[in-house]
Amino acid sequence: MDFHLKKRARNDVKVEVVSLESKYPHNVMMYYYPPTDDIHIEEFEELALERLRLLRVLDRAGTKGLRLLSEDWKEYVSSELTREGLRSYLRLCSPGGGSAQGSKHESEIQTRRRDYLSHFILRLAYCRSEDLSRWFVAREMELFRYKFAALSSAEVKQFLEANDFSFQPLTESEKDEVKDGLYESTAGQSVSKIELLDFYKVPFTQVLDLVRGRRCYLKDGFAYVNTHDLVSVVGTKQQDIMELGLLASKGLIEEVEGDERISRMLKALHNSYTGKDYTVCRDAAVAIESLNQLSKTSMPLCMRMCHEHIRAQHHVKHGGRMQYGLFLKGIGVTLEDSIRFWREEFTKKMDADKFTRSYEYNIHHNYGKKGSMVNYSPYSCAKIIKEMAAPGDCHGCPYKSEDQASLKTKLASYGLSTSHIEEVMFFVSRGHYQIACGKYFMLTHNSNVEPTINHPNTYFEESQILMGNRQKRTTGAMPQKAKLRPDIKGHADRSMLNGDDDDELWKIAETQERAYQSQKDISEAFNDDLDLTEIIY
Amino acid sequence: MSKQATDLETPVPQQTVVPAFDPTILPDMLPVYYRRLFPHQPFYRWLSYGLSEDGVFCNREISFTLHDDIYIRYLCFETQAELEKEICSRNPYKIDIGPVMHTRPTNFRIVPGGLTPVQRELVFDIDMTDYDEVRTCCSGAEVCLKCWKFMVLAARVLDLALREDFGFEHILWVFSGRRGIHCWVCDHQARHLDGRGRYAVAEYFNIVSYVNFMGSNSPRCQLGDRSHHSFKRALKIIEPLFEEIIIEDQNLFGTPKGVNKLLHMIHDDGARTEFEGYLQKSHEDGAHSRLIWESFIKYSNSMRTSTANVWSRKLKNIVQEVQLCLLYPRLDINVTRGFNHLLKSPFCIHPATGKVCVPFSVNAVAKFDPTTVPTITQLLHEINAYDDKTKSYMEAPEDKSRIKDHKKTSMFKGVVVFEEFLRKLERSNKERTNVLQF
Repeated sequence: MDFHLKKRARNDVKVEVVSLESKYPHNVMMYYYPPTDDIHIEEFEELALERLRLLRVLDRAGTKGLRLLSEDWKEYVSSELTREGLRSYLRLCSPGGGSAQGSKHESEIQTRRRDYLSHFILRLAYCRSEDLSRWFVAREMELFRYKFAALSSAEVKQFLEANDFSFQPLTESEKDEVKDGLYESTAGQSVSKIELLDFYKVPFTQVLDLVRGRRCYLKDGFAYVNTHDLVSVVGTKQQDIMELGLLASKGLIEEVEGDERISRMLKALHNSYTGKDYTVCRDAAVAIESLNQLSKTSMPLCMRMCHEHIRAQHHVKHGGRMQYGLFLKGIGVTLEDSIRFWREEFTKKMDADKFTRSYEYNIHHNYGKKGSMVNYSPYSCAKIIKEMAAPGDCHGCPYKSEDQASLKTKLASYGLSTSHIEEVMFFVSRGHYQIACGKYFMLTHNSNVEPTINHPNTYFEESQILMGNRQKRTTGAMPQKAKLRPDIKGHADRSMLNGDDDDELWKIAETQERAYQSQKDISEAFNDDLDLTEIIY
Repeated sequence: MSKQATDLETPVPQQTVVPAFDPTILPDMLPVYYRRLFPHQPFYRWLSYGLSEDGVFCNREISFTLHDDIYIRYLCFETQAELEKEICSRNPYKIDIGPVMHTRPTNFRIVPGGLTPVQRELVFDIDMTDYDEVRTCCSGAEVCLKCWKFMVLAARVLDLALREDFGFEHILWVFSGRRGIHCWVCDHQARHLDGRGRYAVAEYFNIVSYVNFMGSNSPRCQLGDRSHHSFKRALKIIEPLFEEIIIEDQNLFGTPKGVNKLLHMIHDDGARTEFEGYLQKSHEDGAHSRLIWESFIKYSNSMRTSTANVWSRKLKNIVQEVQLCLLYPRLDINVTRGFNHLLKSPFCIHPATGKVCVPFSVNAVAKFDPTTVPTITQLLHEINAYDDKTKSYMEAPEDKSRIKDHKKTSMFKGVVVFEEFLRKLERSNKERTNVLQF
């Protein structure tokens, strides 16, 4: 049976014979129109997995703290892509990988085709929730920038023409008017270069990434960007197209999933990303009396510091309450115990009445007992690393936010030897916070296996297992992320697609998404010191 | 009515000392405030934006805070009369303004997929508590004229950047009632910025990052080889007042702890130790900030010019960086970033201080005195004293006199600022619609 990737109606239109070359004329393409080809289900799967592996490489580069398109980043990505057998994509992203004209090898045209098709296949898998879409769009944009950066100026020009971008550079006199601003504020170019470059005036909303990083001159709502930064304008457009496309895919999902083989695969794809769920702890109950001890033995640094902050200050701001409170829930502290823990500490500084009024609701809320009734999931490393701590905060990833000297002192006070501290600091100074955390785990647990730390609750669990306090989960109900990764290796290996637990995982992913969403809404809707004591509608 | 409230009705000569605000009688004063003083008509004129867009007023989420911290969210109103009636009958302790949704917010339970915000002013919130580690005069909720200067600089820097860089014109500045300020950017483009746009603008202003040093967060910012024009402009505003604020008023480096703050802003371990040694040799503990700061400038200048070293490379802008770290606006960035973040409305009464959240003109921000902002108690005194003098209140029918009641009080200036803002907003709204029609 043939599988029809997209709306059938398109295929029914008179089939024109188009050469692949004119269909995929360029290494960089805007992903405007969904493909209308018929492809075999096996190729469909293969392409999906291939793209997933590609995006995961970019993801890993990001979590390692490498700056996009920096030399380190390129080196890492290129070696990883080679290792994953994705060299053809690498060529797509390399200078001289080539524009269309004539002489190109068939294999490169084929890569372009794979690139185009696989993008649209993954749209189907990643359009389901905002969380997934966000991840997908972010990775796709990195790929886009990587590809675009490899183009020569002639190719850029050709690309712009082919995609109907019409930019008029500033005339000499216009440029002269704003030249001081251009000299001061154009990032990444020397003054003598700026003299020679063409500049374009665009509304600032078209180059938000440049605005965010203060990388261009801004005046009266217009950004002045040079030829090299035009990628921002194109990127913004590309991102809009992708976001709209994902919305549109969402509408198509039901139709596509009429085929069970497809639906299974698409769901499994994204589950392998969402990882393990810590929303509800099913393993064990942890008594709050043991927290002091546990903080020393089994908590990662970020949580241990929150714990110590609370014990010392008897108060902690909203961000810290969320980070630590949800972590406690994840390790198995019951709602009642949790309230007792916070109350005992906070009431050393305030009266019981104020605590009840201002903070209890929040704890109930985190356990999904009040308000939107969503059971929130504990924060992952990615989220914690992204948090910006402000004065007076104790949350965030200490490997990132602590000054290196004080981090060393802290580690020393936790009993690490000087040489061990240096081992950890080696990774910290290179921005590999999660690896540093894993190192710390090894050193404090005398373990030879370095765990992959993606989540503070993983850290805690691994620690408890090593210490013999907990059993490794064997129920199989929740495949672990660390286990899943190696599974997605080759084209032939489709073990990840045979999940019997799809439905359960699916539900979990959905709760996570809902939780994330409403949590975001709530935290966005209110100021930190505004407490949701009671909400009536 | 409580005893105090009835007292207000009895004739009081205008010169008598106004009693301090007493939060316990706030519920008795609010009805009078909302009926006689709250500028309902200008308030509606603002939020309706000339009704130039569909649903711009009636899809706006408004939330009330009633007694005992009861929040009512997802309120919305069809007309000015309805809003006014609801405010006057509920007498909220606080009114928050949310985004304009794609449909009536009251439908929030039945709309599939939930409410989607479609427009919202670009808002900024600057809170004095974020300056706690750089002010020595007050802390927490307190504010005095010395620390108000931090707000003065923040407002000037932000206002100018919004106008010059982003081309925004309709910017309303509001005192938040206790210790902070709010900024509402109401231009069409600002209201229609999407999430990404808000994030980018917020990050544009987020130049200071914090590094944790032995449990206290220390600000850092790096200018790089060439400074962005927005930094230069900010420095032009900040530099002339730096010594007055940090050195004289706050004497921030006057204690060993304060000196440490300065040291921690030097983002190179070696250079920091060197300079620390130099300071220890040349100054005793507790030397006045002026001496420390002068030494710092002298030392960094001489180090920078004498040889090529870390001071001439990484630390060549360190003096300016310290100034920006301490005085560049410290924004509550989540308020700006969030499309559906609620923010307290202008002309609310702050429930703890009793002060009115009055708009102020950013050009006169240095003259604005947060300590003399009228409290609700004072305002009610003033109208009573005025009525008493003219006897007009007794004779004229209530609805006539009430329109201009705020003119009898010290809230007058705030309303004038607000109306001036509205006048300009409406003028450009009209121009916009005219352009669209042709």
